[in-house]
Amino acid sequence: MKKSASKPRTRTPTKAVLKNSRSEISTANSSRRNGASSGKFPVRKNPHGIPDYRLEVLDCRTVEEWVDGQFRYNIEGDLSAEPPPLRESKYLNKQQSIEIYRYMLLNRKMEQTLENLFKQQKVVGGVYLGLGQEGCSCASAYALGEGDWIGPMIRNQGALLVRGFEPRDVMMQYMAKSGAPTGGRDAGSHFGDKHKRHIAAPISMLGDLIPVLAGVALGARLQGKNIACLTWVGDGGQSTGPTYEGFNFAAVQKLGVILIVENNLWAYSTPVDRQVACKDLANRAIGYGVPGVIVDGTDPNQVYDVTYEAAQRAHAREGATLIEAKMMRMRGHAMHDAATYVPPAYFEYWKKRDPIARMEKYLLEKRWMSTKENSDLIASTQKEIDEDRDFADASPYPEGTTAGERVFCDNSIEIPFLYGKPKVKQSDKKKLRAASDVAHFR
Amino acid sequence: MAPVTYLEAIREGIWEEMERDPAVFCIGEDIGVYGGAFKVTEGFIHHFGSERVIDTPIAEAAIVSAAFGASLTGMRPVAEFQFMDFISCAHNQIINMVAKANYRWDAPAPLVLRGPSGGGVSGGPFHSQNPETYYAHTPGLKVICPATARDAKGLIKAAIRDNNPCLFFEHKFLYRRIKEELPNEDYTVEIGKARMHREGRDVSVITYAAMVYVAQEAADILAKEGIELEIVDLRTVAPLDKEAIANTVKKTNRVIILHEDTKTGGLAGEIAAVINELAFDDLDAPIARIASLDTPVPFSPPLEKFFLPKVEDVVREARRLRAY
Ligand SMILES: Cc1ncc(C[n+]2csc(CCOP(=O)(O)OP(=O)(O)O)c2C)c(N)n1
Ligand SMILES: [Mg+2]
Repeated sequence: MKKSASKPRTRTPTKAVLKNSRSEISTANSSRRNGASSGKFPVRKNPHGIPDYRLEVLDCRTVEEWVDGQFRYNIEGDLSAEPPPLRESKYLNKQQSIEIYRYMLLNRKMEQTLENLFKQQKVVGGVYLGLGQEGCSCASAYALGEGDWIGPMIRNQGALLVRGFEPRDVMMQYMAKSGAPTGGRDAGSHFGDKHKRHIAAPISMLGDLIPVLAGVALGARLQGKNIACLTWVGDGGQSTGPTYEGFNFAAVQKLGVILIVENNLWAYSTPVDRQVACKDLANRAIGYGVPGVIVDGTDPNQVYDVTYEAAQRAHAREGATLIEAKMMRMRGHAMHDAATYVPPAYFEYWKKRDPIARMEKYLLEKRWMSTKENSDLIASTQKEIDEDRDFADASPYPEGTTAGERVFCDNSIEIPFLYGKPKVKQSDKKKLRAASDVAHFR
Repeated sequence: MAPVTYLEAIREGIWEEMERDPAVFCIGEDIGVYGGAFKVTEGFIHHFGSERVIDTPIAEAAIVSAAFGASLTGMRPVAEFQFMDFISCAHNQIINMVAKANYRWDAPAPLVLRGPSGGGVSGGPFHSQNPETYYAHTPGLKVICPATARDAKGLIKAAIRDNNPCLFFEHKFLYRRIKEELPNEDYTVEIGKARMHREGRDVSVITYAAMVYVAQEAADILAKEGIELEIVDLRTVAPLDKEAIANTVKKTNRVIILHEDTKTGGLAGEIAAVINELAFDDLDAPIARIASLDTPVPFSPPLEKFFLPKVEDVVREARRLRAY
């Protein structure tokens, strides 16, 4: 019923989301280009043989502690290290890197604006921020091709922007407006778009998108196309049954599901050390029988490269990939949560690893962007966000009386194949009859 | 004693049972240092320790089945769903493992599954649902939906002491909106017994949970027109207090059944059938049903307002039945 009210607009740099880099750069020559990925910073392996692309390994645990009869969490380990540089990407060129950076800026500014709107009581319900995780959401979604799908979770609003939704769409969702993609029927990032942008809408129940994305890949394969289906799950959400069922299904069927486990150390108030007993969530890949990798989730280059390679595997029908992205949820679970249970040293450590600040520094040092270009980009993204905020704010609420519509789909509507008609064997009535004879002991 | 909110009443009830009985412990997501998403178990971990106030992985099926397993050893777990909407993630465990255990293998399951349910707070389709009817339909489960602070405390204590699996649907709209003074002494409220919320001679409203207050507002309006509503708060939807249902129909001869859950297949149909069986001859008018629209719970305030039963609906139906 409700389609997004927003019209595509032109901006700088142009939105090349759905134009994938795959065709532009070949793996071979780009890895030659790139010294850092092989020589200077070799990819280490964790004790279980899982490739770990991080340039630093944070070794620490969140432990229970009692002080004056009160329970609290503390950190066991050393958090004094200075942040490393970004790893050089094997694949990204200048224009693509700047574009990812622009999406990250847009993602952050959109969420900062949502926070302000929340404080002005213009948002209905809560606001969930992906602060500190923008690099992971944006760079991973950017690594996909046009026919590929994503299934984003609440902290992946940047991925929605990369796939072509506008900040105003997200804002209208949060403000429960009629022009929002769900027309006010669902909240926040709970929306999708089958046809154009290939986005499966999440439900709140964590892990439930994973088998859905496996099914999307299956459907596409039945229609003759091997696609990549990227979805994300938290360190908390991955504890659910559907995570196992869905990802195992994808692994067995060799479906091109890319599962990014966003290990941001917390699930609401629960530290990852109370969520799982293993050290690296990527270890689970061994059990599923698929490749697993570890990346620094605040390094967009690492995230892009491994997602891109996983997408190539998916397109070549080589099956699923599990990526663990390590980072930190830099705020409470949602706006209402002051996160007082988080030992402050975590915030201090990860604040120095802010993905946007790191990417900015990287682009400036590489001279892929001048300070002038940077400030222009920051200003233009801010302008875009401000315009979208005003648009969303001024747009109307839905009519209450429409609440009962569209519980069912009318049978006059044709549901098209997204990838083409499946090829099936010609029917053979004789064989059907023979089978029927067997069933009836004739 | 100072008045206590509905939420605090539940907290007091669980706290007192944990102090009284070492078999009782709490298990759920973020119930420890955070005190639960709505703070029902605030402070518990400091007092009872992390052994008896257990933060679990996000795994509702495991929470329910582990609670059941612990109950097999004589423990009395109180498990929290962060929102009752997530009960669906443990549906199989509840209806197959837990509900049937006593019947199949003489293994009673003295556990409580509790959490916030209900709408009216712009929670959207996954933080507003009223899933009680799925479970009221399942033999072997007791399903409790309190409307007052006093009942919330008395019923949570009764549920913890009950030898059967009890599902305790707290209404999040009521958590901090209602308060009352509670008795000083230890008390329980009997599971399966309705409460007369307001006496009246003209039209009965049989309802429960937050809808009690919708009926009450309607009653105040109708009183000015000389129509006296009687409001029966069921408090427990499984087992139903059939006697209380029949008694009010025998008294007023006109009945509205009101609930926040959606209409088709909702409890109103069952209650209407009970009336048909026990008090058909006492009816002077057709039974009226008021319930939410047969759609998911929509998020945007105008949509949700249209979706939910309203005071005007009760006023309109009461007038219609009175004039019938
Ligand atoms: C099955 C299920 N149970 C409980 C919840 C409530 N809940 C919402 S988000 C959340 C924490 C999620 O943590 P994580 O998966 O690590 O994601 P993060 O918020 O850190 O991005 C919980 C418990 C839920 N959405 N789904
Ligand atoms: Mg997390």
